[in-house]
Amino acid sequence: MDFAFTDEEERFRAELRAFLAEELPDWWRGMFVDDPRAIPFTRAFCRKLAARGWLALSWPREWGGQEASVWQQAILREEMWAHDEPRGPQYMNLNYIGPCIMRFGSEAQKRRFLPPMTAGDVLWTQGFSEPGAGSDLAAVATRAEARGDHLVVNGHKIWSSYADAPADWCFLLARTSASARRHEGLSILLVDMRTPGITVRPIDSMAGPHELNEMFFDEVRVPRDCLLGAQGQGWEIVTTGLTFERVGVARYARAGRVIALLVGHVKAAGLAGDPDVRRKLAELRVGHEAARLLNYRVISLQARGQVPSVEAAIARVHNTQLEQRVGHVGLEILGLGGQLTADAPGAPLRGLLHRQWARNVPSTIAAGTLEVQKNIIARRGLGLPRAS
Amino acid sequence: MDLTLTAEQTMLVDAARRFLARAWSLADTRAAERDPRGFRPDAWREMAGLGWHGMELPAAYGGGGLGFVETMLVLEEMGRVLLPSPMLSTVVMCAPLILALGSEAQRRWLARIAAGEMVATLAVAEPGWRDPWGTPALPADGGGRLTGRKLFVPFAPDADLLLVAAAGPSLVALARGAAGVTVLDRAPGEPLGAAGAAGPALARALDRGAVATLAYMAGAAERALAMTVDHAGTRHQFGQPIGSFQAVAHRCVDMRTDLDALRHLVYQAAWSLEAGREGPLAVSAAVAYGSEALRRLFMHAHQVHGAIGFSTEHDLHLFTRRAKAAELQWGSPARHHERVAQAMGL
Repeated sequence: MDFAFTDEEERFRAELRAFLAEELPDWWRGMFVDDPRAIPFTRAFCRKLAARGWLALSWPREWGGQEASVWQQAILREEMWAHDEPRGPQYMNLNYIGPCIMRFGSEAQKRRFLPPMTAGDVLWTQGFSEPGAGSDLAAVATRAEARGDHLVVNGHKIWSSYADAPADWCFLLARTSASARRHEGLSILLVDMRTPGITVRPIDSMAGPHELNEMFFDEVRVPRDCLLGAQGQGWEIVTTGLTFERVGVARYARAGRVIALLVGHVKAAGLAGDPDVRRKLAELRVGHEAARLLNYRVISLQARGQVPSVEAAIARVHNTQLEQRVGHVGLEILGLGGQLTADAPGAPLRGLLHRQWARNVPSTIAAGTLEVQKNIIARRGLGLPRAS
Repeated sequence: MDLTLTAEQTMLVDAARRFLARAWSLADTRAAERDPRGFRPDAWREMAGLGWHGMELPAAYGGGGLGFVETMLVLEEMGRVLLPSPMLSTVVMCAPLILALGSEAQRRWLARIAAGEMVATLAVAEPGWRDPWGTPALPADGGGRLTGRKLFVPFAPDADLLLVAAAGPSLVALARGAAGVTVLDRAPGEPLGAAGAAGPALARALDRGAVATLAYMAGAAERALAMTVDHAGTRHQFGQPIGSFQAVAHRCVDMRTDLDALRHLVYQAAWSLEAGREGPLAVSAAVAYGSEALRRLFMHAHQVHGAIGFSTEHDLHLFTRRAKAAELQWGSPARHHERVAQAMGL
């Protein structure tokens, strides 16, 4: 048991912070902002990270990575997420799309798809959810039918982040067999987004314009060599990917940074003596500490070669509710001024808390709802029975 | 950073669990509640034989040279079986005070503690205090004679050694049988450390006490969760186990997620105290979270158990009552949140 980072790890964090202070422009507020500079900035930023070997830090050397320890990876995730994820869409490549290709892909697929990720040159989107398949993801109806040496895709995907960035590739979950049991008939296809027949329609959201999209597939011809893993292995791949994703995002780290910025604001605004404000900030800080430690438990188990899916769900339950609480309580502390967004003159903390609140309304929905996480913990963690 | 137990810590926990499963049952806990002593001297001596009382003490006093984390892990195991003992007052609180402040002659008491021959207790709270974080007002004259009242002193009737927090703050040690101890009427004690210099060591003892209590309660809550999940999986209504209903299952899950947070906050606090880093923030985060989490946990446990959990025939109340006592013992969540606020620079 050891609750401290090593000196070397602390130095790495300091290096990252210095790099971020240098590279992040004053206007950077993360994605989901209506700013045409955002996507080009994330591309340039990823190339700079790649040049330092920090983009694919955790990956094997064979694929351009540094084989860094899980704790170095955790520090990288924390610093990126705390600074509004300047890798933009590419964090998904590193978190789960690349790792799924490494784990399930052919040698040819690895050689084709991994180097552009390592170089920071490619944007991916995911095609999982459908209008009729949300929490019940296995209800996916998008079909991929074998015709000659192609799979022909027809269907409708929704909530695909960054498809309009535009994304270069799509990690697509589709039904390749209608007759099998529904979990067994699913496959993952790696789809070139320039293929004819794909239409992307952006969906505006409370968090800001674009980034979320619908995708329509009409007779989209995908070469057979773009099937990831075996036909019918899609469910296994997607659940593996979601487990990577649940611990791959250091949500608590941004909550921690927002809390620290709130403390500074409260002191400057003469509110530091208010007992209610003090208690509320302390409660957030304690919640942050709990979430951080539960994430560190997951990483500790990963360091021992385990795949802690229940522990990851427990960490996520804390992460997502914490970041929502930080938004609500932060706005309560700011009061009327809290509703002002970044572009409004005099917005306290330049609209930070408004963004924290709005962006995190879907925290307990995306990548598996809070209730789905709790069902995972109930069945796999506690061994409680399913309803008959 | 590594939040898992070392191989040695795992061995210690396994050995403790095996011993306690054999040596103690909830029937023993019920019997101890009816016993005016509140603990069983035979179990107390057996635990000393396993080296638990001296784990943190230097070898010179018969100790094992381990850390507070190990003591905490043993207390967590004791909590699983609700074993009552003066371990908290003697080993967690008094022994480090004697080690930090005592003269060489006084430190010889430590060897008796390690051997299981001495029960020690710490008297802090005075009339009107809501928690032990007040400023002791009990006057001590220069010779260590004490007059006044201390309340909520655990195992006082059986204590061989009583450490009393007096004005200063100072500490005064009283031996069993000294005249006037029951009501502290000019009771003849001896100073432990210099007058007025006990503040930091006393605060540290209170921090250790709070963290150790929560470790004990983490063990107790783990057992209560197991009982609750077992009930949810076996109790049938509407033709199926009630645990198959999401509303019931999610209460069990909320217990799991709260308890895991509590446990890791407690582990971090114990580690921080042992390592001498960031004490107040880590400790008060654990206490503030832990106290509130225990309320939630046990309300869920009762709700899932239904009426049977409220009856004293069922064992759940043994856990619930201790959880409430633990919550009240070390100061309100508000007090500990304020301490966190100060550590945050507010």
